[in-house]
Amino acid sequence: MRLPESQVAVLEAASTDEQTVGELADETGLKPETVTRAAFDLRDDGLVAIEERTETTTTLTEEGEQYIEAGLPEVRLYRAAVDAGGDADAVPMGQVIGASELAGPEVDIALSNFARKGYGRIDSGELVVDADADPDADDEAAALAALADGEAVDDEQVLEELDRRGLVNRTESTVRSISLTDDGVTAMMEGVEVAETVDRLTPELLTSGEWRDVEFTEYNVEADAPEERGGKVHVLRQTAERVKDTLVGMGFQEMEGPHADSEFWINDCLFMPQDHPARTHWDQFALDVPPMEEIPEDLLDRVESAHREGVGDDGDGYHSPWTENVAREIDLRGHTTSLSMRYLSGFAEGELEPPQRYFSVEKVYRNDTLDATHLLEFFQIEGWVMAEDLSVRDLMGTFEEFYRQFGITDIQFKPHYNPYTEPSFELFGRHPTTGELIEIGNSGMFRPEVLEPLGVDCDVMAWGLALERLAMLVTGAEDIRDLHGTLADLDFLRNAEVIR
Amino acid sequence: MPVVDVDTDELRQLTGHDEKSDEELKEDLFALGLEYEGETEDGLLQFEFGPDRLDRLSVEGVARSLRYQYGDDRGVYVPQLNSPDWTIDVEESVPEQRPYVTGAVVRGVNMDEETLDSLIQLQEKLHATMGRKRVKGAIGIHDLVMLKGEDLGEGGGNSITYRGVDPDGERFVPLDSDAELTPGEVLEQHPTGEKYADVVADYERYPAIYDELGLFSFPPVINGRRTEVDEDSTDLFVELTGTDQWTIDKMCNIICYALSARGGTVEEVEVETPEGTLVRPDFDVDTKEVGHDRIETLLGAELEFEEVVDLFERSGLDATTNLGDEMSYDVEIPPYRVDVLHPVDLVDDVGRAYGFNTLEPRYPDVGTVGGRHDRSDLERAVRERLVGLGFEDMLNFHMTDEAMNYDGMSVAPESESDADTVLGATPPVRIVEPYSEDYTMLRTWALPSLMTVLENNTHRAYPQDLSEVGFVAHEDTEENTGVAESHRVAGVLARYDATYEDAKAKLQALCGDFGVELETPATEHPSFIDGRTAAVVVDGENVGVVGEILPEVLVGHDLELPVVAFEFELSALE
Repeated sequence: MRLPESQVAVLEAASTDEQTVGELADETGLKPETVTRAAFDLRDDGLVAIEERTETTTTLTEEGEQYIEAGLPEVRLYRAAVDAGGDADAVPMGQVIGASELAGPEVDIALSNFARKGYGRIDSGELVVDADADPDADDEAAALAALADGEAVDDEQVLEELDRRGLVNRTESTVRSISLTDDGVTAMMEGVEVAETVDRLTPELLTSGEWRDVEFTEYNVEADAPEERGGKVHVLRQTAERVKDTLVGMGFQEMEGPHADSEFWINDCLFMPQDHPARTHWDQFALDVPPMEEIPEDLLDRVESAHREGVGDDGDGYHSPWTENVAREIDLRGHTTSLSMRYLSGFAEGELEPPQRYFSVEKVYRNDTLDATHLLEFFQIEGWVMAEDLSVRDLMGTFEEFYRQFGITDIQFKPHYNPYTEPSFELFGRHPTTGELIEIGNSGMFRPEVLEPLGVDCDVMAWGLALERLAMLVTGAEDIRDLHGTLADLDFLRNAEVIR
Repeated sequence: MPVVDVDTDELRQLTGHDEKSDEELKEDLFALGLEYEGETEDGLLQFEFGPDRLDRLSVEGVARSLRYQYGDDRGVYVPQLNSPDWTIDVEESVPEQRPYVTGAVVRGVNMDEETLDSLIQLQEKLHATMGRKRVKGAIGIHDLVMLKGEDLGEGGGNSITYRGVDPDGERFVPLDSDAELTPGEVLEQHPTGEKYADVVADYERYPAIYDELGLFSFPPVINGRRTEVDEDSTDLFVELTGTDQWTIDKMCNIICYALSARGGTVEEVEVETPEGTLVRPDFDVDTKEVGHDRIETLLGAELEFEEVVDLFERSGLDATTNLGDEMSYDVEIPPYRVDVLHPVDLVDDVGRAYGFNTLEPRYPDVGTVGGRHDRSDLERAVRERLVGLGFEDMLNFHMTDEAMNYDGMSVAPESESDADTVLGATPPVRIVEPYSEDYTMLRTWALPSLMTVLENNTHRAYPQDLSEVGFVAHEDTEENTGVAESHRVAGVLARYDATYEDAKAKLQALCGDFGVELETPATEHPSFIDGRTAAVVVDGENVGVVGEILPEVLVGHDLELPVVAFEFELSALE
């Protein structure tokens, strides 16, 4: 039989007579806890028996220790009284106490036990000593002295009295005694060998069957392990995926289209006048490439007409210059509404019949000042719903539902102005952790000047929101530059919590 | 967005609501769409609002809107116009770029410091918004007492003249100056002249307005000092020049309404142009027809006719009902409104007066099927696989500069005519007049971005295995946009023991997962070590490159360990 080293040692030290763990520990040189664990393992194998009994250990308290040297207070009082002649006549108590050098609480202790033990009487402030008493034979003093010498005291009554007086502490403990069973004796006679201990479980141990005979060294299972990273999808992409999943679940189809696009699709279709302040080079990135050649001519004419004349019997156009040259210039899109225009016009996927829901989560480019919350490029969530007779109530209901998916509630709709929607609303919502009211998007119903040239004759409601704003809310990131771009801090990304 | 500075004492006085606290006024203005932004140094409250209601760019306009909101005023108000005494003669010599002029006379204004401050603010804010920094429209306001018009004879009144002058053909003393300067000298020597010199940069003749005593206004740049308005001025001459008649007429109306609120009486001015005579200001009330049904469907609420008429009146509009098959309203729009282009704008007014926030949200009862487009699905699948292979997914800017995109990678940009170009060496799409020298073009490939992330993270633990599935672009005149856009899969392995094999191992795993056949024939690329570089050939098509990055490129990125890398077209995994 092969057993771990500690079990072999205990088995060899044990006999058919009971031995305590302490005794076996002394004999084997193992720690008592190691002996105990080995004994239990051996018992599980039926090789030893373990008897358990409760043992009470008595130790002296600090006060008890003091009385070993000085003597019990009542004994000291008795001796002082005898010295003062108290064995013959009553002596004044004050005089005896003075002579005994008892002080403070010792006086009361001395007086109460003096009477209890029959060393004499106390009468009207005087002490009368019983001459027959023998303080040298005081049980309690003897017991204290014995305990101090490490001897056992059997008199339970005395021990209880000492415990009551606070001179000893009594604690109970379990004492285990170990003896060999018959199987244990047989095993010893057949021979027991020490099994080797191993650090790692290896393929060889498993295939050879040696794992049966090995003992595994113990690890410090609480210690920190080396850092484990693995890869992680970028936290902003994770947020984008959450958004896409949510919108697909709400029945939205995803749009795609060019990042570099003509001003026509980016701005003119959106009924942004060509002299609008946001259409200067200071707000958008113009690209040094030739103008766009292919724009559907009839659409171009209808958009120009909307800018110049308005739409409908009572419509007015802008009093702003409009030229085709400007419309054909290529910019980086400042919003993904350019995609919405391409889809609504039928240019992207053919004519659309209501109802439709479309979205995109794509990059847009704005010539802004870079800071903790603004980037030159960021992701815009864009969504629209096309249906007959949509009302602002439908718009409100849709956006409440979307934001609720991200824990943003208490949505407020502040009437607002956009050139391309009417009515328009800035969306405000309650921050999920700080409770602050924050701006979370811009929305509205597309104007007739937008829809009529595109050939859409029902209602379309739309909204837009920066993905980074949502990500900052969800992740608690404070500087957007940690997230996005080549300045990204790898540790920030590695330690970012997963979006769920 | 425009910001209006408001003295709340003035606002209380002009609305007649002394009992309103500043806090109450802030709430009432928020309901109108004016959001409190802060205080000026002089203790005025600043409110930001959407650039539609430009008639609210002064305390007078804000007070007018509040009085409608409080129900103190109802319907359209048009001030009484007195018949003209003054004429503006427009000569043939006016600069062709700035042919339009309009004006008004306002008498009996209760001028004081606050009124003057408010007038100056309104003028500046109108310049910044509708006036498009004075290009489209510029306002000049003059003390009428200081003008000496040309007498047009009995009953003809007085006239002033709008004409074009040579840059150095005339002298006058501009505001905030003691010197007599020519218009040309104003542009060079006067601070206001320097600021607006661009507006008239391509004018051969400069706009100028004359009276009997000479040039008193140099629009759109500066007025003369002679006619400067001060706290003692009561009678004013308002003139506007610009590139669009409608725009300057509307700006003029907004000014006249503000002065009327300060006790002024507006008097017409005749504008004599070579084409004919205009009588200004134009206080004609415009009318648009709004269908009752459209109001109900857009608001999602059922409304009584009387209720709708009431909501119109509380918005400062007048409405009469047209009974018929389709119930509608003829809505009258006051001459200071510049934002009503279509009946839908009037529906918005009804909604605001009704209170949009009192409407109950509802989820639209239309069924549609959701889904993602193919590239979106592919991108997600590739990104998740890369993460499974241990890559940290990165997200980099699409804008970059030539130093990072080409030079830092030892790559020289090629002209578009080169066919089979080296990956990354495709010609750049450049940004016109870039704002920052770090963002001058779109990236032609993704590896420079990943190398830059490595450069910026040399203090972080290695290995650093980074990947990106992202956008790249290069100039291509064959494309309708002139830009060829594509998406790439790129990865770098920065490890103390990185070799070509590590990169190829990842690539193999990825291609295997997407069921495409990978071959890696030897090739050369200026960013990679010769003999350790291969073309990425997927299903027989050359779509990218894989290899060990050149030591000089590593050192150039402050890297002290080997980096192996790959980049190829995302579409290869379709």
